[in-house]
Amino acid sequence: MGKLIKAEFRKILSTKLWWGLLIIALLVAGAWAGMLSSVFDGLAEELSRSEVMRLAGLQLDEISFSVVFLTRAINIATIFPMLFGGLAIASELGRKTITTSFLTAPNRSMLLGAKGITYAIWGAIYGIAIICAATLGIVIGTGGDHLVSFTTWLSTAAAGVLSCVLWTLLGLGVGALIGSPVGTVIVLLVYGLAIGPISDLVFTGFAEGDANVAGALPNGAANGLTGSTAADTLADEIQANATGVSSVSSDLLEGFQDTARLAAGGLGSFGLLASAAIFFAWAMLFFALGLWRTQSRDIT
Amino acid sequence: MHDGSGRIEVRQLSKNFGSVQAVANLSFTVEPGSVTGFLGPNGAGKTTTLRMILGLVTPSEGTATINGLPHDKLGNPARVVGSVLENEGFHPKRTARNHLKVYAAAIGVPDQRVDDVLTAVGLTEAGDRHAGGFSLGMRQRLALATALLGDPQVLVLDEPANGLDPEGIAWLRGFLRDFAKQGRTVLVSSHLLAEVEQTIDQVVIISHGQTMYYGQLDDLRNAQRPRVLVLPSDQNALTRALREERISEIEPADGGRLAVMNTSARQVGDIALRAGVAIYGLEERHADLENLFFQLTSGQYTAAPPQHQQYGQEPGAPYGGQPGAPYQAPPPGTPYGAQPYSGYGSPQDGWPQQGAVPTHPPQQPYQQDEGNTGWGGQR
Repeated sequence: MGKLIKAEFRKILSTKLWWGLLIIALLVAGAWAGMLSSVFDGLAEELSRSEVMRLAGLQLDEISFSVVFLTRAINIATIFPMLFGGLAIASELGRKTITTSFLTAPNRSMLLGAKGITYAIWGAIYGIAIICAATLGIVIGTGGDHLVSFTTWLSTAAAGVLSCVLWTLLGLGVGALIGSPVGTVIVLLVYGLAIGPISDLVFTGFAEGDANVAGALPNGAANGLTGSTAADTLADEIQANATGVSSVSSDLLEGFQDTARLAAGGLGSFGLLASAAIFFAWAMLFFALGLWRTQSRDIT
Repeated sequence: MHDGSGRIEVRQLSKNFGSVQAVANLSFTVEPGSVTGFLGPNGAGKTTTLRMILGLVTPSEGTATINGLPHDKLGNPARVVGSVLENEGFHPKRTARNHLKVYAAAIGVPDQRVDDVLTAVGLTEAGDRHAGGFSLGMRQRLALATALLGDPQVLVLDEPANGLDPEGIAWLRGFLRDFAKQGRTVLVSSHLLAEVEQTIDQVVIISHGQTMYYGQLDDLRNAQRPRVLVLPSDQNALTRALREERISEIEPADGGRLAVMNTSARQVGDIALRAGVAIYGLEERHADLENLFFQLTSGQYTAAPPQHQQYGQEPGAPYGGQPGAPYQAPPPGTPYGAQPYSGYGSPQDGWPQQGAVPTHPPQQPYQQDEGNTGWGGQR
């Protein structure tokens, strides 16, 4: 297995795809985080007008809003590890290099296992790089104000890395199922940029902001995984700040949590652990289907 | 563990792609120490068979083993079998050296091996160029280099001469011969017999996914009956004289000539001299192997195989680039038709002597002719 993982790393490092996608991912994550930070004022103002804030007498400065930009940037940048994973098997099928890969591996399961491990590692590499870029973007965009606490940053970062790993494996499975690089890229992009976000909005609209079917779909669950931490952090901070103000009802707090979740991009999600479990299940489902398809595919 | 024999065994192998039967009940054995040609027209099922041997295509029925085991049970398969397949891919932006390094890692051989195989196929200079810029011939060499990485015991090549220039083909020929001389196994497919004729010892000829001939190439050669074309002053007198010498297979040929089977030009000349018949033309002809190959595999794309051919108007003769090439007319009643080995058992009925006859065709309906000297020089 070690030999095959080494071979997979050599495959990845001997062409330019990995850094081509990585550079774009870093730019997008950094730019997105920086851009959102720069419109922070507008968003913050809106939130400060909310009843919760007013009733609680909260000061915006005490709330670490920038965590929202971090999750937003992660959510958008996960497109790239997803594409990277999508091309893992699809491009080998498309370029027919899969033939030699199969012929030099003890059997298909070993090769696919090695690919899974290799691409999980690469998903994590993408995740860490994206977090760094997004953090840098926020620091630049906010000028160093309203930064999140280290623990919040760390838990969001961990959720972001996990999200990238799972998106990579989900993409890998989809690519293996489709079998064509172009088809895979189109399907993944259309889902990641259009169908996923739009269906989240539509379902959440019907559910009036409650946790709903959107949170059970891959995109919603993935956003819930990263967004829930941010939303919970904000809610906790508000609760902590609002101690002693009796008029902050649980209803209002919940409403605020939804608003924060909306801001963090985790529409209709079921909370951190449930979202993580749901997205993990989706990723494994596609990964397993892709491997099963590759296992039985005739290479002609 | 595999048995280390270097033997490829194909047993009752079939493959259906949807409703299309690509390979039908194919059986043969490839022995180590020899180069075996795997011949058949395009679409006969060669590539599918080779890919089943290599575990890339799952057989519908039957088994294909190397060293007694299917490909996915070989452990580190690239140490046992290397292959050069058609349609094999290289990442266009990966250099030849990096391509080889990827698979050297997968096989577990040191990177030094990469330079060794690049040298072996003559690609050292081009090692750091992208495979996307390679000519077809260079790609074939790179594919061969990849096949050799694991220093395998068995080599399987699918149409390796495609894209090679004459120099490359000659080089490949020598390479494969040397490889087999080391006691290793070579299975090489081609749709042109002439292309591999000088390289192979043993031959498996398939058509319609079925075995048409399986045995030594020399036996196939010896099965050719030479014919003598003679233009006598008096056809009847010569025919009579020949019959007196018990040479009875005589047929009229074009241009007033006679085609005489199972004899030599010298014998016909001597008989004609004794009979007092003048000879205006005398020519010894051997049907070439390519034509026989065509006979064995013809009918794949035609409704009815040519059953009775006239000398000089052989319908399918253009195959092999010799239109109207001399070919002995099959005398009616001889088993020499489109299915010359019909006595050998319909492939659907299974291989009657499977495994027991790697060196001789099971049946020889042809008459052997030891005087077949014309082919001796070929080898």
